[in-house]
Amino acid sequence: MKPRSAWGIAALVLVGLCFAAWPCLAQLNLMVQCPADTDGIDADGDGNPANDIVCKHITAGDGFATMADGTVLYTFGFSEVPESTPPDQVFAQRQVVAELPGPSIVLREGQELYLNLTNVGMINRPDLFDTHSVHWHGIPNSGSIFDGLPESAPTVRMGATFPYYYATQGKEGTYFYHCHVEVVEHMQMGMIGHIYVLPRQDQDTALKNSGNPPFAGFAYNDGDASTGYHVSKALQLAGFDSRFHIQHIGIQNLPFAQLKDDYHFINGRGYPDTVNPDPLGASPENNNHPAQPLDSRIQANQGERILLRIHNISTTHLFTVRVLGIPMRVVGLDGKLLRNGSRDLFYETSSLTIGGGQAADLLLDTTDVAPGTYFFYTTNLDDLINGQQDRGGLMTEIVVCPASGCGV
Amino acid sequence: MRKRRWFGMALAAAALWAIVMEPAAWAKILGVQGTSFQLVAKQDRITLGDGDSVLMWGFALGNGRMQYPGPTLIVNQGDTITVNLSNALPATAGNVSILFPGHDVAASGGVAGALTREAPPDGTTTVTYTFTASRPGTYVYHSGTRPDLQVEMGLLGVIVVRPTSPTPNSACPPVPDGHNAGPDPSLCVGTKFGYDHEDTAYDREFLIVMTDMDPRVHRLVEFGRMDEIDTTNFFQTVWFANGRNFPDTIANAQVPWLPTQPYNAIFLMHPGERLLVRLVTLGRDPHPLHFHGNHIRVIARDGRLLSSAPGNGPDLSFERYTVAVNPGQTVDGLYRWTGALMGWDIYGHAPGDDPAPYEFLGDHGANFPVILPSRDDVVFGQLYSGSPFLGGEGSLPPEHAGLNVGGGFFYMWHSHTEKELANNNIFPGGLITFLGVVPWDVPLEAE
Repeated sequence: MKPRSAWGIAALVLVGLCFAAWPCLAQLNLMVQCPADTDGIDADGDGNPANDIVCKHITAGDGFATMADGTVLYTFGFSEVPESTPPDQVFAQRQVVAELPGPSIVLREGQELYLNLTNVGMINRPDLFDTHSVHWHGIPNSGSIFDGLPESAPTVRMGATFPYYYATQGKEGTYFYHCHVEVVEHMQMGMIGHIYVLPRQDQDTALKNSGNPPFAGFAYNDGDASTGYHVSKALQLAGFDSRFHIQHIGIQNLPFAQLKDDYHFINGRGYPDTVNPDPLGASPENNNHPAQPLDSRIQANQGERILLRIHNISTTHLFTVRVLGIPMRVVGLDGKLLRNGSRDLFYETSSLTIGGGQAADLLLDTTDVAPGTYFFYTTNLDDLINGQQDRGGLMTEIVVCPASGCGV
Repeated sequence: MRKRRWFGMALAAAALWAIVMEPAAWAKILGVQGTSFQLVAKQDRITLGDGDSVLMWGFALGNGRMQYPGPTLIVNQGDTITVNLSNALPATAGNVSILFPGHDVAASGGVAGALTREAPPDGTTTVTYTFTASRPGTYVYHSGTRPDLQVEMGLLGVIVVRPTSPTPNSACPPVPDGHNAGPDPSLCVGTKFGYDHEDTAYDREFLIVMTDMDPRVHRLVEFGRMDEIDTTNFFQTVWFANGRNFPDTIANAQVPWLPTQPYNAIFLMHPGERLLVRLVTLGRDPHPLHFHGNHIRVIARDGRLLSSAPGNGPDLSFERYTVAVNPGQTVDGLYRWTGALMGWDIYGHAPGDDPAPYEFLGDHGANFPVILPSRDDVVFGQLYSGSPFLGGEGSLPPEHAGLNVGGGFFYMWHSHTEKELANNNIFPGGLITFLGVVPWDVPLEAE
């Protein structure tokens, strides 16, 4: 589990060589840190002792997202570097491919994450020299060095790579990440992504089989399968103030004081794009790379339980959300099981108000729900917009199929 | 061993109590203690984070200057509290009154108003409000006369009611499972209580009053254009923590250049200490306050413990990493940080070293997991010590402010409606405060 000392020494030697040789300093730092998991300990309990270290290489840069009304807006964002990318091609291939939201990071409790962040610069704003960071929002007992806060940590310059490290033991639940540098601007510009940790209890086959049909997993280590689900979806609520993005690409002063989102979306898309299963936003401006790969359509068979992992990362709005026709049970808030000792604090509701920086885990039981299409939407009805387009915004569909399924 | 230490501590504590530990003598929250308060509504100015100077109406203590927010009144449960209000505002401001939500108030003097007795702007007429501080907790007070304008103008404040039981004592924080023992007891600041239950124990306490402002309203008042004020098109562009905008929030309290904004909002603590955080919103919008560093356990709302039945303590409490506080609401939470389960030794110990007080033993001696990039590859924050370790100090680049002398971990506590982190069009600013966790060998002020 701990980094192998041999690996550490080897890397130190490499760094030392770099310091000794001038040309290295003039080159880009693309050192991706990823120790091998050779300790023989099965930290995540899945039966495989060699898969407990997760390594990711993501970039921070700029790009363009396509709103549901067709408007293309300038963004900042994260993007994952495929393992097949040669190091000398990272900049050539990974500039102006920002994604909204950024790459989703899903971990099993017990795993360790080495998250390497390369700042590839904002090509469309060559006047900017901003650093970037990853802030794992809400992780319990964080350390400043990996908190991504530009005031209390180093943040990475263009052309360099910073390694973030997180242990996940005891930290199952729903979180998200964002860049914390120039945080109003960078979040409004789209540097936001999902991160959540699947509980250790997911390895408990007997508990999974206590569901009928057997559960696919659990939201938390509840001990009694009360957060068991068959289908899950992570929904990120956010929005853009189009004027901010237009003035940004126009290299104008940014209107912080007047910020007010006029595009509202789930997973980077306004309705009806939310229910489109295809990757979207592959505009020429975004180098034909899909800027918005995540859909938000949810499908379950009658009798199944749906887990919605929701967070609000809007820079301007609190939202109240509702599922019309399906009761919602709140089982978790902000990455914690909603339970005090042995006392459940779960509650059923038909509306949930969620402020910026908050998360909630909702269980939807479809046992008594007739097959059909149901809507998840904000009851702040004036936020059901895509810019000037009056029908859209923060809404998606939940399709409940007959117990036998919808067929293919 | 343990028992003897306790005996000695009990003796010392008994002596201490006789001298300084009178009830409510342990307030770190800046404010005024007592049972009778003379509040005068006055006009004055405050300074915003962008350098603007704004006309305000606010409460002053007697002959003192108006302050924003008003004086924090710190009282003891069971006491009969008297607040005498007079109104020295200009005539255009009209009458002023005070509401005390959560308390059963008797008002006398002055003139009758819509909600309570009011003081006309003659500077002399006194309205007397009397109530019993029957329940401990965090409460607000604010104007009850044309509150849409007068609260915006600054006529607001906070009341802290301290419980009569349990009795504060000199104990160190308890040791959580899997952690090293605490420090020498002489270093601990002692245990206090937010509510009348042992499970509300804390070592330090902080107050964050969150407010917002539309400076256009203040300009119209200043220019006497009262008829043009329309609070229905209110649009905030400035946000405050304890009456200041970042970065003024992290300046010292009571600095001479902010004479009407005496309260600051930077907090320091040691690992393992328990913080009682009192959150208050007085303004137009809910503010979702995000806690970097760890979750906070929400134990009370509006001066009422989240409890299933009397005596059960905060058994309905829950943890959050962002707490949205609605206008007029108060929320109390307990916050603690030890660095547990981080996967590396935050003190940089070798396996054979002595662990630090309240260190999580499971990570003791564990290697730092990555190789940090060269200093040329990164920008150091002003509050980065140059070392990833708690209590560590590394070399800093030229021009670095070097603000983090003790090697603390600094965590931003801020509104996650991120637009509120600006002063008008200037980022950063607004509703930002910091918590610093510093190692035990960095002494902190006792409370």
